[in-house]
Amino acid sequence: MCAMGMYVHIPFCSKKCDYCDFTSFCLGKNEQEQYLNALIREIDLKKQSMANMQFDTLYIGGGTPSVVYPGFISALAKKIFSSFNFCKNFEFTIEVNPNSFSQQKLDEYLLIGCNRISLGVQSLTKKVLNKVGRNQTKKQVKNAFKILKNNNFTNISADVIIGLPCQTLHSVKSTLKYLIKRTKHISVYALQVEDNTPLKQNIQNKLLTPKTDEQTLKYYNSVCAILQKHGFNRYEISNFARQGYQSKHNQKYWQGVEYVGLGLNSHSFIDGVRFYNTKNLNEYITKLTQNKLPIEYTEKLTQEEERTERIMLSLRTSDGLNLAKFKQDFNEDLTITKAQQIKKLQALNLITIKNGFLKITSQNFYLANSIILELA
Amino acid sequence: MADLNKIRNFCIVAHIDHGKSTLADRLMEATNTVAKRDLSEQMLDSMDIERERGITIKLTPATMKYKYNGEEYTLNLIDTPGHVDFSYEVSRSLAACEGAILVVDASQGVQAQTLANVYLALDANLEIVPVINKIDLPSADVAGTKKEIEDVIGIPCDNACEISAKTGLNIDSVLQAVVNYVPAPKGDETKPLKALIFDSYYDSYKGAVSMVRIFDGRVKVGDEILFMQTKKSFVVTEVGIYTPSATPKDELSAGEVGYIAASIKNVSDTKVGDTITHKLNPIQKPLDGYKEATSVVFCGIYPLDGDKYQELNDALEKLKLNDASIHYTKETSLALGHGFRCGFLGLLHMEIITERLEREFNLDIITTAPSVEYKVYDNSGKEWDVTNPTEMPSLATISRMEEPVVKMEIITPKDYLGGIMDLCSDRRGVYHDMQYIDANRTKLIYTMPLNEIVYDFFDKIKSISKGYASMDYELSGYQQSELVKMDILLNGEVCDALSIIVHKDKAYARGRALCEKLKTVIPRHLFEIPIQAVIGGKVIARETISAMRKDVLAKCYGGDVTRKRKLLEKQKEGKKRMRRLGSVELPSEAFVTILKLDD
Repeated sequence: MCAMGMYVHIPFCSKKCDYCDFTSFCLGKNEQEQYLNALIREIDLKKQSMANMQFDTLYIGGGTPSVVYPGFISALAKKIFSSFNFCKNFEFTIEVNPNSFSQQKLDEYLLIGCNRISLGVQSLTKKVLNKVGRNQTKKQVKNAFKILKNNNFTNISADVIIGLPCQTLHSVKSTLKYLIKRTKHISVYALQVEDNTPLKQNIQNKLLTPKTDEQTLKYYNSVCAILQKHGFNRYEISNFARQGYQSKHNQKYWQGVEYVGLGLNSHSFIDGVRFYNTKNLNEYITKLTQNKLPIEYTEKLTQEEERTERIMLSLRTSDGLNLAKFKQDFNEDLTITKAQQIKKLQALNLITIKNGFLKITSQNFYLANSIILELA
Repeated sequence: MADLNKIRNFCIVAHIDHGKSTLADRLMEATNTVAKRDLSEQMLDSMDIERERGITIKLTPATMKYKYNGEEYTLNLIDTPGHVDFSYEVSRSLAACEGAILVVDASQGVQAQTLANVYLALDANLEIVPVINKIDLPSADVAGTKKEIEDVIGIPCDNACEISAKTGLNIDSVLQAVVNYVPAPKGDETKPLKALIFDSYYDSYKGAVSMVRIFDGRVKVGDEILFMQTKKSFVVTEVGIYTPSATPKDELSAGEVGYIAASIKNVSDTKVGDTITHKLNPIQKPLDGYKEATSVVFCGIYPLDGDKYQELNDALEKLKLNDASIHYTKETSLALGHGFRCGFLGLLHMEIITERLEREFNLDIITTAPSVEYKVYDNSGKEWDVTNPTEMPSLATISRMEEPVVKMEIITPKDYLGGIMDLCSDRRGVYHDMQYIDANRTKLIYTMPLNEIVYDFFDKIKSISKGYASMDYELSGYQQSELVKMDILLNGEVCDALSIIVHKDKAYARGRALCEKLKTVIPRHLFEIPIQAVIGGKVIARETISAMRKDVLAKCYGGDVTRKRKLLEKQKEGKKRMRRLGSVELPSEAFVTILKLDD
């Protein structure tokens, strides 16, 4: 039995970026304390039923975990470690933003065993960041890396967004060049303009021009080439890592491994059941005050849904879909049931089948959705 | 036995919106045929489409009792459909009458359909009773309207009724005029039965019911009657009159208007214009003027959702029960799957039927571009009647082609004359005449190919003239024409549902417009799709939909797989509903959009 992953959501930011539709709020110490108390109650409610579970990753994400008051994260971690079973040498990631990171924060994280930092860089070009309402300077990024280096902390990941308004290929390249020298792992996400965000409004009001699909694709292809050249291998559409530095935690999502979510709007996948907590902060706190789990949605996956997920998630990875395992699990030989589609996709050079794995060809990862749609 | 001198059979002719239905309602009210409160209910029963467009497609006749100068008169109002598509039906209704009320809107004056309908009435030798309606409107010009009727139509208006059907003003004068001016019917009830079917409908209890005018003789329950055109005979199960609901009577006799039911299964056995006589004592010659209903406009009708084919089939069957003039045959399109090729009396008829399919039967349908019936002659001299572009013989074997043309009359305020004449010549119209109706309005007469008006000609006329111009047309025959079949190729494959027959001078523009439109509605695919308009192997227009470049959900945050899967399932559902054309997938809605193309 594979060990499980654990995700904890910290829904606070110093300021929300214009493109963000994640569950996060700009709130002070009082609310943070209330939230921590609620989290602790959630852990208490869950720990008994999860006593037999073994975890090998812990991921504290957000929001911005680095904005909460000093002591929050260590109190949380202590509660987690005293409640659940973690393997030796488990992967422990904390997301931080350069503008709320400090030696003091790192000291706190190191003390509780954090061994991986995910740094939200997004871009190093001030103008690009300003246009999407992200208050962050290159100096702050440099400072964050300086702190990490001073502490000999090397297992660093950085997030980059491509396709931002006003972004140029040159800007993307220089951001990457800077990060390649300082990180082991880089995630590159294409900007998605979500509904009900200031970004969407600005685009609708013609204050900003979104990048075309062609432009974003050009950036992505260029990103892939640069990272490849410098020893970062793509193991998922958006994730690149040096040998041995792939994110164990994120891989669980794509490999169908179970994970437990804690906190506001966190998602869990246990025993073939997917469920998630409410997005509403007040409801989350109130429910837990009443010792009730704040679950908003639960679904037990049907065979058909599991099948769809398998195709959908596997094809996002460089390994691709294990056809023999698929046949064994779903009693379906995809090369027969989807023979026509596979033939067509192969003719278009969009997929290959090698050694029993069906994968998207390396230059066509950004068509993943359409390709998955043909096969699912 | 009916006293002929106390009977008046009449109809009302008018342009759309000039108040025909309202006047009919007022007449029924004034004669206490229906109480006011029943009237609204009765109106609600009629089809939504008629009410919305202010036109009557079918309205039951009404027998009214009217006391005048101490005598009781029977007034039979026979309604006529108010549109050129139904001019044959109109002519049969008129043939059942001795007089016609001509209603003209005092604020709008004589319009194209006023003329068309009044000429039909004059052709039928009817006595015309002019009625000036809407005199209560501030913009009413009663004297001007009268003068127009006298000048343009040549009917004296000294005694014209001046009314407001809306308020009920002077309605009685109309009834008096009917009694005084419309001649009493002639007929001999001792002669063999001679009855004209001027309309028919299907009743689920009585079967197909014929609406008739008895010219000679009498008919009662148990009589064996013969339909002279179809040569079928039936035993009468019920006769009666419309009061306005069907009310059984012992018999109908010469001069009267009513209905005959005889457990007839199909309305196609009760053809409008047919003559009914007794089987054992028949008349020698049927009434003149019978014509088979012929389809003029054709289109393919397909269910938007391919699974609904059977439902569409059932719906058409039901509509056909009541409307023998719809023709349909099964048809299969590569792009649209199973559907029907349907023939209609005209454009309005087509619109009515397609709207009824959508509203009454709740079906989402795709209709292909309306077509007309072309005559194609091949090199051997053989004639082909082509109503579906896909049936057209190959270009090399065609020696010549003919297309149907119409005589078009348009009445327009002179401000819009230029715009309308430009439109007509753009639509290959041949100018014949221009007449001044008054200082402001002009009547234009053109000969135009029918296929140039089946798309959006009427809409264009209305938009050019801000709604003030009116038009009417009648088929006037066939003319030789340089026509070509244009195919649309998607990724190298012919999309049969998009093939059209078009004049060669128009082909280039139409082809380009179609290709451009297709480019906007076909979603990007994983490969490049060339769109080509082709005539006989020659590409005349081309667009390209470049291959999709990016379709990815980059982030899978916090393990939210559910949202991603649901999105995928939704897209999968959408994909299932796509129409497949070889390798290209089209949303059904795309067909609807494309086929709504105007030049």
